[in-house]
Amino acid sequence: MKVIMSLLFFDMAFWFYLATMILYFGYWIFRKEWLGQAATVIAIISTFAISMMLVFRTKESGHAPFSNLYESMAFFVWITSIAYLIMEFKYKIKVVGAFVMSIAFIAMVATSQLPYRFQDIQPLNPALQSIWFELHVFSAFIGYSGFGLAFGMALMYLIKARFEERKTSNFLIDRFPASAMLDELSYKSVAWGFIFFTLGALILGAVWANKAWGTYWSWDPKETWSLITWFVYAAYLHARITRGWRGKKAAYVAVFGFLSTIFLYWGVSFVLPGLHAYASQ
Amino acid sequence: MTISDKSAVKTIGSRIWVFFGSLKLTLFVLFSLAAFSVVGTVIQQNQPTEFYSGEYGKWAPLILRIGLEDMYHAWWFSTLLLLLILNIIVCTIDRFPPKWKTTLESKADVDARFIKNLLNKHTLILQDKPAFVRERILNILRKKRYKVKEASGAEGMSIYAWKGRTGRFGSDVVHVSLLLILCGVIIGSITGFKDFGAFYEGEVITVPVTELRLGIDRSWHGIPLPKIERQEKASDIQLRLDKFWIDYYESGQIKQYNSVLTLSDSGREIIKGRQIWVNAPLSYKGITFYQSSYGTAYDRVKQAEFLLKRAKTHKTITPPFTALWNTPYDIPGTDYRIKVVGFVSDFAFDPATSTVFPKSAEHNNPAINVEVYKAGKLVSRPWLFYNYADLFAAIPDSDYELVFDSYKGILYTGLSINKDPGTNVVWIGSALMVVGFFMAFFIFHKRIWVNVRKGSLETEVNIGGMINKNKFVFERELSEIVDEIKSGSSGGIKQ
Ligand code: HEM
Repeated sequence: MKVIMSLLFFDMAFWFYLATMILYFGYWIFRKEWLGQAATVIAIISTFAISMMLVFRTKESGHAPFSNLYESMAFFVWITSIAYLIMEFKYKIKVVGAFVMSIAFIAMVATSQLPYRFQDIQPLNPALQSIWFELHVFSAFIGYSGFGLAFGMALMYLIKARFEERKTSNFLIDRFPASAMLDELSYKSVAWGFIFFTLGALILGAVWANKAWGTYWSWDPKETWSLITWFVYAAYLHARITRGWRGKKAAYVAVFGFLSTIFLYWGVSFVLPGLHAYASQ
Repeated sequence: MTISDKSAVKTIGSRIWVFFGSLKLTLFVLFSLAAFSVVGTVIQQNQPTEFYSGEYGKWAPLILRIGLEDMYHAWWFSTLLLLLILNIIVCTIDRFPPKWKTTLESKADVDARFIKNLLNKHTLILQDKPAFVRERILNILRKKRYKVKEASGAEGMSIYAWKGRTGRFGSDVVHVSLLLILCGVIIGSITGFKDFGAFYEGEVITVPVTELRLGIDRSWHGIPLPKIERQEKASDIQLRLDKFWIDYYESGQIKQYNSVLTLSDSGREIIKGRQIWVNAPLSYKGITFYQSSYGTAYDRVKQAEFLLKRAKTHKTITPPFTALWNTPYDIPGTDYRIKVVGFVSDFAFDPATSTVFPKSAEHNNPAINVEVYKAGKLVSRPWLFYNYADLFAAIPDSDYELVFDSYKGILYTGLSINKDPGTNVVWIGSALMVVGFFMAFFIFHKRIWVNVRKGSLETEVNIGGMINKNKFVFERELSEIVDEIKSGSSGGIKQ
């Protein structure tokens, strides 16, 4: 099957995301308003390019654009960009863009490094031909994005809180939003992420498994890692209301949660055996 | 018991209670569950014992001893889950009643000092009459969908406004839904069953049912304990496989497995010729039939192809001919007749019982059993090998050699037959959990108090409020309300 247009748009998006990331860093370091505006504009163009990539991918393959690692990574970048742009318009905190767009760009780099067979379009095997599978992945990836944003802001929180505590000043760190704000936004991202992750990765995944194999849960490594990640974020939510865990420790849990998400997403496919092993196809 | 003994018991009791209700325990349990689950994904689960000794050497006995090879069913893993349940229950008993009370409380009669002590507050001095100001504030709050309650006390008039009380109970909905899901899992594991079977076209099977009975278990120190005994027996439901086939993509990859099933209950055909495929099972009376796998039969074939050769010269004398399974076939140009009566996919012979059996379901060494008749009389019954065509002479005392050339296997469909009455409880719990999340994360409990009192010349308004989370948004909302109060004011404003 022909995959020309989607590859073209992917390559375009790749360079746009690089530009976006550099511009957000430029805005953060040089404090020029025009750099910030340019960053936002290029971020929107990048998002458009990756949207077109997904549209063409859908057209070329004839199925929803998240059936293998290559497609789903692009999908992750897409949702993360949209979520970030919404947040930027709502809260006007462009410095966060440097962190979030770094995550998006790293995802683009990782995607472009995948072996060629992932870029090729594979017909869907019988188990994947289900609306539940599509809803499952769609919703789970919104969850991953929420966790990704929370990760970025939890890192910023940890840096900022340290400087606030010591009352030291640094021309880069001073541009961060206040730590209380970062904590709040990071919590909000986890909240969004947790809802869609629970719904997508666990509930819809269970519905799909039940339809396809007749059991909603079978402790397959991917399922188990979803549950592990879920436990970590449940711990984060409760750490935020536990005396002695609020603040920095909770932020570390959010960081840890995203590492678990990355393993769930990449590690399980390449390291552990199981039903979901995209890589073994 | 002396009084101090009693209070000692009480303190120990309350300490235990506090322990089981604490959030630190929650964190401990959640992290432990996560950590052990990681171990369960690293050490492969439910493999044969030899696997562990091969893979882990001297650690294998330890792994088997503590149950790491079937971790998710080990007693200590279940204990962690039990601890989580206990934690939720105790925590809810502890916190729910006071939360319910403070959430529903609507104390409108507050003075200016109370408001000034709130984290979020504003004081305005307006030139309008108090009654007018109060009316406007009430309108503004109502327009923002707050519920309001008024009071008038010694210190002028006061207002209590609130919204989003349900948000407070989102976490409880989540916790209850979690218990519900676990109930569903337990119901399923007690009353459900899961069966697998390979079926050939035309085959009819009787679907099993499980019966539960309360029995007595004396395995623990001979002490009688209640035990649920499960027994599988035949039901009145019968299933027939009408057809099975595989669809392929142009590239040759498998697109779909399909089975056509006919189901009858107590002898009556209920569902006739229903097609199922992966992701599209058939359900009847809580029993679900899934397309789960397929394979080629290891003990029969559809048809086999043979050649007839000269025994001495190995020269083929007939074109290949095809004999159907268990159907006599007259070899053209001879007075021989053959009948295919047996097949194994992986030939093995047990000398003790002198029987042939398939070593595996793989087609590693296919062999076929034929009966050879001459002029209507059985003369031999050889096993012929696909991989070793010329090894054995098939027809004794003759110039002919029968060669097993090829065969067409019979596909069987692998169906899973499941019954899990707990599944619906799990789905209900899951739906409830998502509802609970939305309540907890997106409905904020906002409370605003206003006190309007007459100063020497002007009217003094104190307004303040609280929110359970999302305080930046609330700060902004409160400022907007204050601005609105100011902007509608006719006279001068003083902060
Ligand atoms: C995997 C298990 C659990 C899940 C998924 C879960 C989920 C949640 C969620 C989503 C919230 C709302 C958080 C927020 O508003 O930010 C919450 C709050 C809470 N949870 Fe859990 N929880 C679990 C276990 C527990 C346990 C074992 C306890 C026992 C102490 C507990 C105690 C609490 C408390 C005290 C709150 C705050 C209640 C409130 O805001 O009124 N949770 N939980």
